[in-house]
Amino acid sequence: MAQSNGASRERILTRVRAALRERPTAAEPVPPPRMIFPPVVDALDRFRKECVTNITECVVTPDLRATGVAVKEALLSIPLGEIFIQDSPQLHSVAEQFAKDREIQWSSEGRPKEHSQATITACEALVAQTGSVLVSAACGGRGASVVAPVHIVVATIEQLVPDLDAALAAVQSRGAVSANSYLCLVTGSSRTADIEKILVMGAHGPRRLIVFLSLA
Amino acid sequence: MSSNAAREFLRRAAEKSADLNHRQIIRRSVDHYDAAVRAGRSRFADWEAARERCHEIKRDALNNLEHYLREFEQRIQERGGHVFWAENSAEACEYITQLAVSRGVGKVVKSKSMVAEEIHLGPALENAGIEDVDTDLGEFIVQLRHEPPYHIVTPAMHLTRKEIAVLFKEKLGDVESDDPQELVAAARRALRKIFFSAEMGVTGVNFLVADAGMVAITTNEGNDRLGTSLPRIHVAIAGIEKIIPRLQDLALFWPVLATAGTGQPITCYNTLIGGPRQSNEVDGPEEFHVVLLDNGRSELLADTEQREVLSCIRCGACLNACPVYRTIGGHAYGTTYSGPIGSVLTPHLRGLNEFQHLSYASSLCGACTDACPVKIDLHHHLLENRRDAVQHASRPLMERIGFKVWRWTMQSRVRFELAGRLTRAAIRVATAAHLNGTALDPAGLWSQKHGPLPSPKKSFRALWGKLDGAK
Repeated sequence: MAQSNGASRERILTRVRAALRERPTAAEPVPPPRMIFPPVVDALDRFRKECVTNITECVVTPDLRATGVAVKEALLSIPLGEIFIQDSPQLHSVAEQFAKDREIQWSSEGRPKEHSQATITACEALVAQTGSVLVSAACGGRGASVVAPVHIVVATIEQLVPDLDAALAAVQSRGAVSANSYLCLVTGSSRTADIEKILVMGAHGPRRLIVFLSLA
Repeated sequence: MSSNAAREFLRRAAEKSADLNHRQIIRRSVDHYDAAVRAGRSRFADWEAARERCHEIKRDALNNLEHYLREFEQRIQERGGHVFWAENSAEACEYITQLAVSRGVGKVVKSKSMVAEEIHLGPALENAGIEDVDTDLGEFIVQLRHEPPYHIVTPAMHLTRKEIAVLFKEKLGDVESDDPQELVAAARRALRKIFFSAEMGVTGVNFLVADAGMVAITTNEGNDRLGTSLPRIHVAIAGIEKIIPRLQDLALFWPVLATAGTGQPITCYNTLIGGPRQSNEVDGPEEFHVVLLDNGRSELLADTEQREVLSCIRCGACLNACPVYRTIGGHAYGTTYSGPIGSVLTPHLRGLNEFQHLSYASSLCGACTDACPVKIDLHHHLLENRRDAVQHASRPLMERIGFKVWRWTMQSRVRFELAGRLTRAAIRVATAAHLNGTALDPAGLWSQKHGPLPSPKKSFRALWGKLDGAK
């Protein structure tokens, strides 16, 4: 079990306690809650629209088999080289479509290499409100969604939630927060506007984020 | 007596406000920001309600700070992470440097962290012979120039693509044009090599999430994600005030931080980290350390008037809104935190006496208070700092005598009228004798930087009396 340093810790906590005990903040009346975000009406429609805005490629397919075919097609535009895939039964079935054409590294064989051309992972949730993908360490690890220039996400419609509040509540209630050392809400691909406020894609992470969303 | 910091501030402010090229660069950047934020706020059903809710959540967090910090610490330890409590910069730097030395670390990658700047971690690592590379593009650029960040969110805001191209050509070599696309690609190539060879990643923290026991880190570039995935040690540094009670609070804070920071609906990468690589996980660091920094914060917590300053989420909105920041820019302040929040905070963190001048780096227009997404009453806190400086810190002798004389004069109508007449006459004489701006000019301080003050023959009261009689 990891240890904390005792003396400084005690002095800081004592000061914090004294600051609040001797001079508490006067209670302010809490106003009745107001609606902060407009409600999401049609989650799928909203997700697709947000993807357009944040430059995520969203491909809706009828089922996982069709997703496999669509992923195979998408891989044609990606240079030859290793594809890193999260080791899960679902993604094994998706990868059957192109397993003989591409060099594959499964996440059970170690983290993605510096020269990986693309990574394919599942996700914890899709968020309609912001067009985001929530991934965790269980989705092929930390590097899976950031090292390669292309990140492909395979998701199904029941993973789509209306908003951030629902997404965070869902992962917390099913224990995904305590089970993982890592979660990341990914919205679009890596970008920077640090030079003259001009938007450039692919700063450190993926240049492309592609979501394959199957309806069944 | 004015401090060195005050004299330097005035010198740099005068220099920067006269640099029209510099002002144009800031204006372009801030105009761009303003338009994006207007659009961003319109995505909220009720932006004001969002600000109020953020304010309430942070008030609860600060009111129960000890409880939430303990909860956070326990959860981190349960996942095998270490929590180090640092009372000041020296303790924090020593812990991180010692850790790096004892683990044989040769290279550290840093993701944008204002706290790392606050504690001067970079120089501490370099003194221990450890290479330290900033990986946020803006910070990478200013580090290559040996400069501090210019802005909390946009560290290289003051530079043009031409200047950056010249810099990269000199330091990195493989750059042909000043196309931003090409410049970013060159930085990516250089930094990728560094990410894969660094042994330690150091990051700041946007939120310490108590109930989840995780640190939340926000970036657009993804440099934090590489820095917390690839090296074998991850150290996160956070002020103790960064705590929020619940994971679900992020459903509000993430969009609010993005909107106030850049106008985006949400930042590209919002990462949550609660420990080192777990036994069933593919990758991640072997060690995870969180450094909780006090450095004056617990004293500010005891100040009921200004406690709420600790709610700041470092979005930079008050900097962009401030007419003073927009004129003099970020470097003129000479402090880690610039703009209105820096002017409020710095006297608390580094001493009221030396940094009281920052309380006057404001027109008290209140634009900062209006812009603040957590509703910190910034301009009133500047006024409180002015009051405290007069009561507790040293003010110049001449100022104190001056106010005594002024008070005595104001208490009698005869003395007041006489003083007015003498002053008007003295200004007229000084103007006629071309002595404007000298010690003999009663309006000398004004005239040094402005055109001469017109001095009417009659006082305001005399003119008012005439107007009243004419009715």
